[in-house]
Amino acid sequence: MQTTNRRTFMGSVANGLQGAALASLFHQELFSGNPLLANESPHQPVRRAYDLSPRQTHFKPRAKAVIQLFMQGGPSQVDLFDPKPELDRNHGKSILKDIAKDLSSPDAAGGLMRSPFKFARHGQAGTYVSELLPHLSRHVDEIAVVRSMFNTHQNHEPALFKIQSGKLMPGLPSLGSWVTYGLGSENQNLPAYVVLDSPEGQLPTNAGQNWQSGYLPPLYQGTRMRSKGTPILNLKPETDEPSDVERLSRDLLARLDQIHKIKRPGELQLDARIASYELAARMQLSASDALDITQETSQTLDAYGIGESTTDAYGRQCLLARRLVERGVRFVQLFTSGQQWDNHSSIGTSLPKICQKTDLPIAGLLADLKQRGLLDDVLVVWGGEFGRLPIAQMRQGNDLKNAGRDHGPPGFSVWFAGAGIKGGTVYGNTDEIGWNAVEDRVSVNDWHATILHALGLQSEELFFEHHGFKEKLTGVEKVRIVDEIFA
Amino acid sequence: MAECVLFPESFEPDWSLEIRRCVSLPATLISTGILPSTAVYGTLTPFSVPSAALTHRFPMPFPLRFFAVSGAGLVVLLLTFPIPAPGDDGTTPVFERDILPILESRCADCHSETAHKGGLDLSSMAGVRKGGESGESAVVESLEDSMLWIMIEGGDMPPEGETPLTESETELIRKWISGGALSASVEETLVTQHEVLPFLFTRCVVCHGARTKQADLDLRTVESILKGGKSGPAIVPGKPGESLILKRVHARDMPPPKELIRAGVRPMESSEIQLLEKWIEQGATAYDITPDVQTNVPDSLVSNDDRKFWAFQSPQKPQVPTSDLSPIDSFIVRKLREHDLTPSPEAERLTLIRRVAFDLTGLPPEWEDVQRFLTDKSTTWYEKVVDHYLKSDRYGERWGRYWLDLAGYADSEGKRSADPVRQHAWRFRDYVIRSFNDNKPYDRFLLEQIAGDEMYDFENADTVTDEMMDALVATGFLRMAPDGTGSDIVDTVAERFEVVADEIEVLGSSVMGLTLRCAQCHSHKYDPIPHRDYYRLVSIFQGAYDVYDWLKPTSVAGQSKQENPTRRYLAHVSGSATKQWQEDRIPIEKQISDAEKEITNRETEFRSQFIAEKLKDVPQELHEDILAMLQTPKKKRNDSQQQLADKYEKLLTVDSDGLVKTYQEFKTVKAASDKQIKTLQATLPAQPMIRALWDRGDPSPTWIFRRGEFTNPGDLVGPGVPSVLTDGKTPFVTTPKRPGSTGRRLAFAEWLTAPEHPLTARVIVNRIWYHHSGRGIVESLGNFGRTGVAPTHPELLDWLAVSFVENGWSFKWLHRQIMLSNTYRQSSALRPESEERDPDNRWLSRMPLRRLEAEPLRDSLLAASGELDVTAFGKPDSVTVRNDGLVTADRNETGWRRTVYVQQRRKELPSILETFDLPQMSPNCVTRPNSMVASQALHLLNNGMVRELAMQFAQRIETQAGQDRYRQIEQVYQDALSRKPTAEETQLALETLSQLTAEWELRRAAEEKTLKDDGTQSPSAETQALANFCHVMMNSAEFLFVD
Repeated sequence: MQTTNRRTFMGSVANGLQGAALASLFHQELFSGNPLLANESPHQPVRRAYDLSPRQTHFKPRAKAVIQLFMQGGPSQVDLFDPKPELDRNHGKSILKDIAKDLSSPDAAGGLMRSPFKFARHGQAGTYVSELLPHLSRHVDEIAVVRSMFNTHQNHEPALFKIQSGKLMPGLPSLGSWVTYGLGSENQNLPAYVVLDSPEGQLPTNAGQNWQSGYLPPLYQGTRMRSKGTPILNLKPETDEPSDVERLSRDLLARLDQIHKIKRPGELQLDARIASYELAARMQLSASDALDITQETSQTLDAYGIGESTTDAYGRQCLLARRLVERGVRFVQLFTSGQQWDNHSSIGTSLPKICQKTDLPIAGLLADLKQRGLLDDVLVVWGGEFGRLPIAQMRQGNDLKNAGRDHGPPGFSVWFAGAGIKGGTVYGNTDEIGWNAVEDRVSVNDWHATILHALGLQSEELFFEHHGFKEKLTGVEKVRIVDEIFA
Repeated sequence: MAECVLFPESFEPDWSLEIRRCVSLPATLISTGILPSTAVYGTLTPFSVPSAALTHRFPMPFPLRFFAVSGAGLVVLLLTFPIPAPGDDGTTPVFERDILPILESRCADCHSETAHKGGLDLSSMAGVRKGGESGESAVVESLEDSMLWIMIEGGDMPPEGETPLTESETELIRKWISGGALSASVEETLVTQHEVLPFLFTRCVVCHGARTKQADLDLRTVESILKGGKSGPAIVPGKPGESLILKRVHARDMPPPKELIRAGVRPMESSEIQLLEKWIEQGATAYDITPDVQTNVPDSLVSNDDRKFWAFQSPQKPQVPTSDLSPIDSFIVRKLREHDLTPSPEAERLTLIRRVAFDLTGLPPEWEDVQRFLTDKSTTWYEKVVDHYLKSDRYGERWGRYWLDLAGYADSEGKRSADPVRQHAWRFRDYVIRSFNDNKPYDRFLLEQIAGDEMYDFENADTVTDEMMDALVATGFLRMAPDGTGSDIVDTVAERFEVVADEIEVLGSSVMGLTLRCAQCHSHKYDPIPHRDYYRLVSIFQGAYDVYDWLKPTSVAGQSKQENPTRRYLAHVSGSATKQWQEDRIPIEKQISDAEKEITNRETEFRSQFIAEKLKDVPQELHEDILAMLQTPKKKRNDSQQQLADKYEKLLTVDSDGLVKTYQEFKTVKAASDKQIKTLQATLPAQPMIRALWDRGDPSPTWIFRRGEFTNPGDLVGPGVPSVLTDGKTPFVTTPKRPGSTGRRLAFAEWLTAPEHPLTARVIVNRIWYHHSGRGIVESLGNFGRTGVAPTHPELLDWLAVSFVENGWSFKWLHRQIMLSNTYRQSSALRPESEERDPDNRWLSRMPLRRLEAEPLRDSLLAASGELDVTAFGKPDSVTVRNDGLVTADRNETGWRRTVYVQQRRKELPSILETFDLPQMSPNCVTRPNSMVASQALHLLNNGMVRELAMQFAQRIETQAGQDRYRQIEQVYQDALSRKPTAEETQLALETLSQLTAEWELRRAAEEKTLKDDGTQSPSAETQALANFCHVMMNSAEFLFVD
């Protein structure tokens, strides 16, 4: 157990170390092999002070930050990235007895259903993308599509727990929590892990459990930032008061705390507390600045579709994501409102709707990141908790016009772009009807390990001691880094 | 088209990857079989085989030996063929020729016929195939799933310190396994019923089992399978093709595709179908296999050496080092001396008063009490302080909360987005608080919580006593795990087992100090807890928690077709609880009936008005007769009245809806009244029910789940406790007290609360010690095993544990011992010697300075502001979730109740608690984290409720102290910090208050120019300034930290 000697500590304070830097004095290295842990038995719980100061990666990282475009509900792979001619040929054929085990509502099962949308090849690589994503199609040479992801539960909640935190159950730390626990943050005046939920208003299924920190300290939980109103909970005083009142109050508090501290020399906790109040003050300024999109040119706003009714909401989220990673935020997670990707019925009209809302803003984000040179350091990941089944789901009678698709965890598509990603890649495959991932299958744990890998973290070495065990995001199973998608 | 589609084996929730708490795979594979070096012909006769049958315990006469590889596993008949000479076959390795020599030279020291460490014998093909102690074969179809390969490739075997296998050896083994693990011996495998029954339980018995016998078919035993149902026997022994069950399964009619979700089952795996076919083909024999339980034959999996670890030995009362000091102090001082340390001086009296008050009640001391204690001249003043707070009703709320953390208390089911509320869960919370206040002995407290339902025959009791009801409520302890099975789609064996596993984890981490979960998938890697022992524990719970016969929790609306959503509730409430309930209803029922009368009166008024208006169009002379007619019941009307009725009654008749449509005023009145009545009805206390766990008798069999997977069943086991905590040769005996229950949990609870139990008392005294001193004697509070931290003061721990039991397992006795010690009374000031030689305070050379935990912090804010409502118990207080996610408890008429009474809904934890480190209960919380982050500062500085409380604080101060700033400041210090301000502090406060007042006056002046007085009175500038001052005090370090 490493402790900071009081004299060296006070000395460094005297030398002008302040605020967050101060906090780093309490920090202990988390990774195995670190000399601070070397004297301990491998399973001895260690008391630590936790903070967000930047930490060493395990090896040279490709990415410094992640923007996760989370498409909650389950985007249909056979209508977006994974064209299946066999579906056209066998349109209407029933496979009920085979597929029954995957259905959440067997009564509504129809036959195989061809995609109502056309596919075409795009970019130099000739990646197939459906007509629903015309803007993204222009950027396929920046992205690597993985067609062979699979999840292991056909219901939203467990599938979401799995993709956010590695297991089908709640209460475990999310990917973003692990990343910020492992890497800290480049910006101490902003939260390290920011969640941008949709200005349209509805939270995703599982709400805050999507960005929970589980057994990791709450410090690593995602912080919801809203583009309207007070951006962070309790960021601004909730009652109106003259501006000088805040200053007077803070001055008084500082004096009282000083009196209290003088009588308790050497209590590091008290210094940490004072630091946390200083950080709170700086955060008020930084958060407001980060969210102030009036600083952007009208050209930029247009590129994200801001101001256009269809794309405005998601455009704002994408633009904020860029502004946040630009400021050193480590992990930004974007959610669409509610479960608009959950196209159980009328997929012919409901899927185009959500595509139109997100397609241009995402293309705008990729272009903007690239133009500013940020795409070299930022990993952009797109996908939902699962995909959809290749058969029709007939919730409202037999008219195919109203048909949708049920949840499809055994095979679905996701994509990556940015930091070190080999653009134009199409990796893995599903079977002939786009139901099960069969070739180069990528599990959720593999996917997590691959993202951590891009950040310079080795999933097996990133652990937290809990109940006497080294808990990891990727659990105990062997994981595979999807190396093939990296340049 | 189907031929071009690649149908995978099966898609089933992939629980194999859901092993929650694992470091890596087990270091040891345990097995038991002994096989002859020369294989022989054998004849098979069914005979009684204990599940983890050890052939060396049941030697068969040579040469007619056969080998029960596993009771629920394969029965193998071996024949030997000449082994080809080396080089005969150049490519594919053969076990006897190529692999056995490697294993013999590299593994035989530990894994041979005689030294089957971990039970594994690698000296023969049969031993290899049989594999580990839970019956997991070392070789299977694929390399990735081969335990032998996993251990070798992962570098786990040979173990550290031994020479690793050479590359060519490793390569040979790899080739051998991937080449199909060829062996020169030919085997015929016989399938036992216990390979088939587990998946019939998983896939079929929900409709063809204990509760439901569709088509009169029960598939739980070989006998009932042979008997069959309406359509005849389910199987024809020897003839798979003619067996009905296989026909239905092959046609994929069973389980019925459209019923899968409702029934919570999935279709059979092809491997399962093959096994079923084989079993039928071989004659569907019911071998006499008995569950593996502890007998009086010494256990071979756990040795007496294993039992020597300190935590597995009963605590013995050590010699107290010196009689000059209290026992606690003498143990502490001895360690201090060993580390060249001296104790800190005693803390100031005020500090002690605050420390004791916060420690025992989670609230600051009242000013009057502080005054009294400060001026007490007697030598026993300090004892009086401790006793005063030990007697307080607030004590149970403080210490009960610690227990609720351990139980993983929540008012909702969790796991699903809907997060259904658990009605009546709060009775368990009240039970815990009352138990602490009543100083219920810990052994009794545990007994009730683990087996309360088995203590009394509540079902047949003439009257349910308070005692019985308490015992039933107490079982809520084992009903707290998050549970998503109220939704059909996640109500499968896998998810049910998750709930059982969570409860075992709660029990292990909170009460036993063991990381039991490690043994869910394989034998514990560090502690001597075999895989088998975990499933013996599962078997203990099987009477109440049966994954094949499940009682659903609160249904998720729209996601469950189950009719009765209250299956986990018992109505066995005591007379006094029923009486209390009825009494509680009376005032509300009265309010409802008053409100109903009131609206009826108003309706009558409006109806009269309506009639009067309509009568305007009717000749005046008829009015009197018409009114008389309307007053007369229909059947009593005379002819002329009847005529009048025919003509006018319809015109003059109006119902409530008609009045609503006609009169705007009535519409308003009616709406308000409806709303009021509805609100009142909602507050009517529901009929008391008990959210309980109870044994239902007739549990399903328990099979070991290899790797924790229900699809991978192994040996059949019966109930038992971890062998390492016993002498390893005493059978686990159940003597049910309640007819119809198995008595398993009762026997378990009695074993757990035996005075000599190695862990029970140690674990709890360590916990109490931790909450008082900020450090556990064993720092890993939930892990007393080998990976836990060794105790800093082992003798003290044992002295406390033994004395605690001797003193009737009394918590209050223990608090007193600790709090009256000099150790506890030390100052928290950091001295140079402590800083140098005891920086972590391991040796307790001082008391720690501690930040208030979430609940005491919130309660202190409420107390300071005068808004604390100390009403105890009952339904939890609701919370409101704001759009931006802020969750705040709702205020009632008199204020806010203590935090322990706020609803603990998993998806809606009050923000202030989460910000101050109240974790998610998943499934419980053994130690809370302690963070110091900006969001805490932001909450206390900016949050609306905290600011509102500051204003209430200020207004209360004005009421009590008037407008005099000196008196106000003094009073604020008293209420917030239990002391008077210093001259410096007073001066500072005065200056700031006057500046603040000036700011607010400026603001008011500006507002008066622009705003008209709307009659509402906003607080004066003086009050606003005082509120700011109070707010600062609530943010101050002194408010937040206890010395």
